[in-house]
Amino acid sequence: MAKNDDDLRMSGVKSKKGVGQYILSVILLIYTAFCALPIILVFIAAFTDEMELATTGFTYFPKKWSMTGMNAVLKYGKQLFTSYGVTILITVSGTLLGLLVMSLYAYSTSRRDFRLRGFLSIFAMIPMLFSGGTLSCYVIYTNMYGLKDSLILLIVPMCVTTMNLIILRTYIQTSVPEELMDSARIDGAGEWKTFFGIVLPLMKPALAAVGFMMATAYWNEWQNALLYISSANKKPLQLLLVNIQKSIEMLLNSTNIPSAALSAMQGNIPQYSSTMATVVVVIGPIIILYPFFQKYFAKGLTMGSVKG
Amino acid sequence: MVDPNAYKQAKSNNFWHNMWKHRAHLLMALPAFLILLLFSYVPMTGLIMAFKKFNYADGIWKSPFNGIDNFKFLISSKDIFIRMTKNTFMYYLIFTILGTFLNVVVAIAIDQLAFKKLGKTLQSIMIVPIFISYAAVQFIVYALLSQESGLINQTFGTATRWYMEPKYWPMILTIVKMWNSVGYGSVLYMSVLAGIDQEQYEAAQIDGANKWQQICHITIPSLVPMITIMLLLSVGGIMRSDTGLFYQVTRNSGVLYDTTQVIDSYVLGQILKSSNFGFTAAATLFQSVVGTGLIIIANGVVRKLHPENALF
Repeated sequence: MAKNDDDLRMSGVKSKKGVGQYILSVILLIYTAFCALPIILVFIAAFTDEMELATTGFTYFPKKWSMTGMNAVLKYGKQLFTSYGVTILITVSGTLLGLLVMSLYAYSTSRRDFRLRGFLSIFAMIPMLFSGGTLSCYVIYTNMYGLKDSLILLIVPMCVTTMNLIILRTYIQTSVPEELMDSARIDGAGEWKTFFGIVLPLMKPALAAVGFMMATAYWNEWQNALLYISSANKKPLQLLLVNIQKSIEMLLNSTNIPSAALSAMQGNIPQYSSTMATVVVVIGPIIILYPFFQKYFAKGLTMGSVKG
Repeated sequence: MVDPNAYKQAKSNNFWHNMWKHRAHLLMALPAFLILLLFSYVPMTGLIMAFKKFNYADGIWKSPFNGIDNFKFLISSKDIFIRMTKNTFMYYLIFTILGTFLNVVVAIAIDQLAFKKLGKTLQSIMIVPIFISYAAVQFIVYALLSQESGLINQTFGTATRWYMEPKYWPMILTIVKMWNSVGYGSVLYMSVLAGIDQEQYEAAQIDGANKWQQICHITIPSLVPMITIMLLLSVGGIMRSDTGLFYQVTRNSGVLYDTTQVIDSYVLGQILKSSNFGFTAAATLFQSVVGTGLIIIANGVVRKLHPENALF
């Protein structure tokens, strides 16, 4: 940055495009490449010939392209489709449930003469400061609640978070005009009608920002799945990735291929490319959807930083 | 409801009257309240395990107490305990200091860039890594570091056994963490920079301040409140780590534990092995108490220095 001094001295604010600006651009381009290149490598590896990967290793410029990895994933990966379904179910239901209950909570704690308001705010704040930790949660959920191998554990514990509650409440307090709510009440609308008819629609930008962050968290969640999920038809995508790391055979196994047949074809399993193809299939949707939600981001993040 | 008289009146009425008046709001708060109660508050009671000899058959409440045996055990096997506490703390420091620094640098760099469209595009790409789970990131890291076929060894003609050498991992994990989080982290600071009054810069220019002086005297000071809040928020997580980073990216390899095992990844490993819950529970209690203690202390300090930036 210091290099810019002389070029930009006495120039208009951010207007003159001096040499310094080009140097800055190049530095930022290099950093961006550092962010993007590892991801691109995986996409390329997914379509690289398996023999080439095995002999000469990962490369950005494969001599021979191939669909075998992707085909193997799509052909043997019945589990992959099941897992896709599970992940989508968890992501959608968790995000919607979370947005609904948190908006309601945020709305009720933003009512000024509600006497429990202070208590409820502190109640929501404490989990950010103190938590039982993974082990306590594990023992309470499985031993006390008797929940094991249950999708509830992948959906509900994550759906209410202090940070998101604060974002939503701050948004209601600052961006939803109190007069609108009052006029609705004067027109005879009850609290529920006011909330669903007036407040919730006006919260759209905040809901989009929080919703996308939640959806990403759900999509990427692997730890709870690893701890709690054992049956194949409840395995989310990330758990599948974790399992693949242990052995790619697991993916093949779960499609009911007899183990004898499996060991016979062991040599022919396109290991590297199909692993990378699986990674591509798992991270693809997030990368595709991201640009559509991007504009809400800065807004949502900024809202969160305003303390509640 | 905003009418001051109505407000006063409501306040003078008794509590139950207020509850009845706000019965809709009570009901609205109920679902999230119950979720927090059942999935955040009740698990806190699980920390009592630190003082119990836990077994599954008796459950958490009926398992017998064993006083401070678990903590004695924790202290007696101090090598593991000290190692993982040290790692947890060390990575927290590196990630927080370097992370904050890079977040701010990237935010200022993009903000200063005159090519606005380019800046936006580059920033969008920089954010992408945060959306990739560590379960997937570990394969990306593997593609780079695998001994025979990894890109790094291929490119530089080396044969480094990255996954066998603990000494490389503080650097590797730091790079992965920064790769993952800096783009995203800078968004927050960028939004603060976007709010700076441009007239301040113009006035500084008239006074003859160069770009560098403008950054030092206008840009950076305006970021201080946000930096304080972010640091404060992160202090509570001082004993918690990005479990995925330490468990997945290292492939939970025992050879690397010296430099990669943190409390969270240890706890996860122990639960999956379902062994040694007493020891783990003692470590967890330590983790929770230290984390909470530190955030209260940090908040107290900030409250003294800059009351407006305190969290509570």
